[in-house]
Amino acid sequence: MAVSAEEKNDHVIAASSLRKSFRSGRGARVEAVQGVDIEVQRGEIFGFLGPNGAGKTTTLRMLTTLLPIDDGTARVAGFDVQRDPALVRTRIGYVSQLGGSDELATGRENLILQGSLYGGDAASVRARVADLMELLDLSEFAERRVKTYSGGQRRRLDVALGIVHEPQVLFLDEPSTGLDPQNRANLWERIRDLRARGTTVFLTTHYLDEADALCDRVAIMDHGRIVALGTPQELKRQVAGEAVLMDVKDENGAVARARQRLREEPYVYDLTADGSELRLYVEDGGEALPQLLRLLDSEGIGLRSMSLSEPTLDDVFLRHTGRSLRDAGPAAPAEVEVAA
Amino acid sequence: MSGAVGVGTVVSGGAERTGGPLKLGRDVGLLYWRHTLQALRQPIWIMVGLSTPLLYLALFAPLLKHLPGVVAATRGNVLNGFLPGILALLAFASGTGPGFNTIFELRAGVIERLRVTPVSRFAILIGPILASMVMMFVFDGVLVAVGAAFGFEVHVLGLAVLAILLGLLMMIMAAFSIATALLTKEISSFAAVVNGLQLPVLLLAGVLLPLSIGPLWLRVLGHFNPLYYLVSASRVLAAGDFHSPHVWQAFAVLVPLCAIVLTWATNVMKRAVS
Repeated sequence: MAVSAEEKNDHVIAASSLRKSFRSGRGARVEAVQGVDIEVQRGEIFGFLGPNGAGKTTTLRMLTTLLPIDDGTARVAGFDVQRDPALVRTRIGYVSQLGGSDELATGRENLILQGSLYGGDAASVRARVADLMELLDLSEFAERRVKTYSGGQRRRLDVALGIVHEPQVLFLDEPSTGLDPQNRANLWERIRDLRARGTTVFLTTHYLDEADALCDRVAIMDHGRIVALGTPQELKRQVAGEAVLMDVKDENGAVARARQRLREEPYVYDLTADGSELRLYVEDGGEALPQLLRLLDSEGIGLRSMSLSEPTLDDVFLRHTGRSLRDAGPAAPAEVEVAA
Repeated sequence: MSGAVGVGTVVSGGAERTGGPLKLGRDVGLLYWRHTLQALRQPIWIMVGLSTPLLYLALFAPLLKHLPGVVAATRGNVLNGFLPGILALLAFASGTGPGFNTIFELRAGVIERLRVTPVSRFAILIGPILASMVMMFVFDGVLVAVGAAFGFEVHVLGLAVLAILLGLLMMIMAAFSIATALLTKEISSFAAVVNGLQLPVLLLAGVLLPLSIGPLWLRVLGHFNPLYYLVSASRVLAAGDFHSPHVWQAFAVLVPLCAIVLTWATNVMKRAVS
């Protein structure tokens, strides 16, 4: 086979200027994806973070050959998605939000069919399926129909279906939706195991903690565009270093004085106040804390409490879009919080 | 990537790109078996599928007996005239099942899961069609056996040729209904299209009463209905007559139509679905 681009650089996914629009119900065109560039390296866990309707799934479906690309190019696992979809398909796995296992078949039957569809011979498929069920703790339910599986078991089967042919890249669309915390943590472990075995994982999520805890790099998506890209740490640093939260004892106008004095300090990027609670962003919390304490002490301003916190990815989203991720999108999670 | 237990994706470039007849046959076989297994695990639908044509035989055929001239025109037993039409009706109805199933599989993400594998798009389409077709032939066998018990004259060769025509019509309907399911994506629009089509097609086919007793315009309209050709051919073939023009006319209409609908539906499977 010809030397593919993947061997020249190490980008297992490389997409540029991807675009996709749909006709909406009333005939108007909706620009679902508006010029997305992505480069994903071999062996990384790459995440698309954004509210529902941001274009994450649409992008994923273009990269996995499921949806025709309107404009732009995409290479996945060394082959052009539009020119060689068949070659891309043998090298990728995809687990949709819906899963897609056969409810009337047993877990083992599902996996054997899937393995056979990728062209394996009966003996090697059986061996691979047995290994896989062991790996994902499914052996116990192997001969049970999928209809009887719990949410967590079903999700593990979905993942198993996606990796039965040992793909170079695994695409996961909202993998932890509907899972309880324990099953989520379990799933994250499996995904990290896959990375350890050299599989590249590309996932979408609207959970901040998932992007933060699991992904090596995150692209934050909103309205069909990538608004920020980097490691979770880089992204959070971009916002405003670290956040210091302090509760000022309000005596003799201490709060007003504190606000004024703190704003004058060069290392304080930004300051917001909510009553006696002040939230300020500094570049490096470790350096800033002693300085802040000395300053407040010399001004005779007392504190009830003081704490240092990392900004979250939600702060990043807020900065780039002006909205909190929790409020954004048509189907944001129920526990809506208003960002301060 | 192919480790010790690698599931052989190691095929040289060209063959992997296009597949080839061997891979196609294998893909079709795998998906045919998947759908057959699913059907066997839902015996309730098998019962429902079989009860409808049996009810027609039991509850409708007796009415025909009392229509003047019908018994004489059907060589002494109304089943000779009526049962072939029921077989055609069953072929038509069997074609809509795969479409309904496609709607459910879309919703469950099964179609997605299959489309992301290198499996042939034609196989995703034809696997369930063949599974339903085999089921239909089993039902046909039951109907003929029950009919024979009540005096239906069995012409084995005629019925064998008829089976080919029944298979063609069923395939046309099934490919049409699957493509419609992929395009409409949800049950209400899909059902509206299929049901909207069902009544005129049935009335203009002469299944229940022959079109020959109708006015000219009705007979002309019938010639635009593929089911009409099948019903006409089914009556002569069941009587063992291969030389009637109805036979070649049915093939001349159904074979090209089947090719066209299959091509269209395969293209829908390749592109659509969002």
